[in-house]
Amino acid sequence: MIGRPPRRNLDCLGSGMVFIYDGSYEGLLSCIFVIFKERLIPVAINQEDTYQFTLLDSPRTIVTNEDWALRVIKGIDERTQAHASALVYKLFLSELPLSEMLVYQVILAIMQKGDASILENFADPHILKAAQIEKMIHREVHRMHAFVRFQKSRDGLFYSAIDPDFNVLPLIGDHFERRYADQSWLIFDARRHYGLSYDQHKLAFVSVDHPVFVQSGLLLGLDAAAQGNAPHVFQDEREKEYQLLWKNYFQAVNITERNNTKLHLRHMPRRYWKYLTEKGVSRL
Amino acid sequence: MTNMSSNILEKLRILSDAAKYDASCSSSGSKRANLTKGLGNSDGMGICHSYTEDGRCVSLLKILFTNHCIYDCAYCVSRRSNDVKRAAFTVEDVIDLTINFYRRNYIEGLFLSSGIFKNADYTMERLVRVARELRLLHNFNGYIHVKAIPGASPELLHEAGLYADRLSVNIEIPSESSLQKVAPEKNYSDIIAPMNYLRSEKEKYADEKPHIKSAPLFMPGGQSTQLIVGASPENDWDILQLANSLYQKQKLKRVYYSGYVPIATDNRVPDLSAPPLVRENRIYQADWLLRFYGFSVDEILDKNNPDLDLEIDPKLGYALRHPDKFPVDINRADYEMVLRVPGIGVKSAKKIISSRRHQHLHIDHLQKIGVVLKRARYFISCHGLVVKPGNFQTENIRRAIIASDRAPAAAQLGLFG
Repeated sequence: MIGRPPRRNLDCLGSGMVFIYDGSYEGLLSCIFVIFKERLIPVAINQEDTYQFTLLDSPRTIVTNEDWALRVIKGIDERTQAHASALVYKLFLSELPLSEMLVYQVILAIMQKGDASILENFADPHILKAAQIEKMIHREVHRMHAFVRFQKSRDGLFYSAIDPDFNVLPLIGDHFERRYADQSWLIFDARRHYGLSYDQHKLAFVSVDHPVFVQSGLLLGLDAAAQGNAPHVFQDEREKEYQLLWKNYFQAVNITERNNTKLHLRHMPRRYWKYLTEKGVSRL
Repeated sequence: MTNMSSNILEKLRILSDAAKYDASCSSSGSKRANLTKGLGNSDGMGICHSYTEDGRCVSLLKILFTNHCIYDCAYCVSRRSNDVKRAAFTVEDVIDLTINFYRRNYIEGLFLSSGIFKNADYTMERLVRVARELRLLHNFNGYIHVKAIPGASPELLHEAGLYADRLSVNIEIPSESSLQKVAPEKNYSDIIAPMNYLRSEKEKYADEKPHIKSAPLFMPGGQSTQLIVGASPENDWDILQLANSLYQKQKLKRVYYSGYVPIATDNRVPDLSAPPLVRENRIYQADWLLRFYGFSVDEILDKNNPDLDLEIDPKLGYALRHPDKFPVDINRADYEMVLRVPGIGVKSAKKIISSRRHQHLHIDHLQKIGVVLKRARYFISCHGLVVKPGNFQTENIRRAIIASDRAPAAAQLGLFG
């Protein structure tokens, strides 16, 4: 899939170029900076650790440059009243195949049009695709707002594991910070192996070498810990009691005469069950 | 497990089981910020934290304070004459459950209803105390929905409004004469009186708000009620007219409809084999048309058609009864008319209006925007559409759409397909 060529440069030198970046958002934006600066036409933008060389490509590796990345963000936001940089970031976090190219194509469309109105033209295939992905991301963010299940540790930390379809952990911190301003919490992405923590003052990303992962067993026996079987010394003594109350509540409010498994599964797909307290196996 | 917690477990089982027939689950429409580093917030958008196997949303801890009740309403599982196990929470029980469920992100807040023990004020006083202590002692900003008990004093209702996001009085039976038959101790004026009182109090605060910056929030999520469908002989037209008048006069935010679940044999209510779920669903669709699509009750139903068609949705029903209003020109028609096309929802209609400013829309654009073409194609004109003008045979369209609804859905296209 090739984006429309930049109008100003049809005889560019680097037609058909493949770009490689380090997998970070800043890296992707650095690529896009180079593409615009040198008036190039990319055919693909790939992460270095997943890229496979072929004979036909002429790959060029771009080293991440934070200043360049910021200039791209600034360029987008100046033209769109800060709306589009959030959209572009979400496209990146989707981790979908070809999402890097879509980021480029959306930025190209904004630069060519010069304002945000292009984002309302859903008859443009790139804009429509971006809007569809944004909707999927929003749904996943909303699901994480709903499906995070905290457990309380002995020293008062509320911890949780998630396994979202997209890399939405960077997008959900604000919500949990506003809501649980008076409790310390940690949400761990079990697929991507990093976490987000809040100590009642500020949010911080934490990597797997954080001591809490060892104490909670989140990394040792990940599923067991996430489902409430953390080591006895780690879990708050009343934690299991509240889990049991919640499970019983969940059973009691169901109206069996109205059972509707299809609807139940549409709202709560099976892949989310492993970290949902109410869907777990009973342990008391 | 300790004795105390097994006691709570038993209470929770009884008092959530008895509360589950209340269809209201909404936790939206209220804004309550967490400004003082307390617990919780409501940001206007509700969250369904879980879904039970009947497919219903679990958003709030929905419980009765007690299922002891002095009334004997035939449709109600907690009625005095029904032989069920009785229980009652303490104020502390409810607060502890709410806060500990909330901290674990199980719920958006509390929905507290109750049977009536002793009298209305005695009951209401306890519900208010739960809400007051959650707000004032525990700095809790999550969502609180409290039942307004008919007959409770204005002072208590007023106080409830200061702490709760939403209050509700359930009408349950959609006509006064039917209500008299199944709940002889109740009447409409007792139910409507608190609604009117709360409405006028809320308006008083809203009037003050621009002048007094510190005016407190009063019932920011408004009021709701519930009507039971199928326990009494009212038709859909009666039900929708009542709902419409509640939206207009009492300014309710939501009317919930609950297909009657035959909970126990009582010869004052019908013995249905299953709850009327399709009818309930059609009434919800009609309610949606009233609130978001600019329809009036008379456009949806009338004396000659007093019941909704169970086979097709009410918007399609309207289009089929009004062939003179179609086809709608997608590139020119007003938003209001685009919105009336079956298969075009609020989001698609808005996308159509914004996209057509940039370019002329073709049928392929509509499909990608999210229009359900297998419905809409009979009611629109648009480039690329092959429906011959004058071919508007309503009975054929009706049959074709019903048939296509029953056909298995086509495989979803891949994102980058």
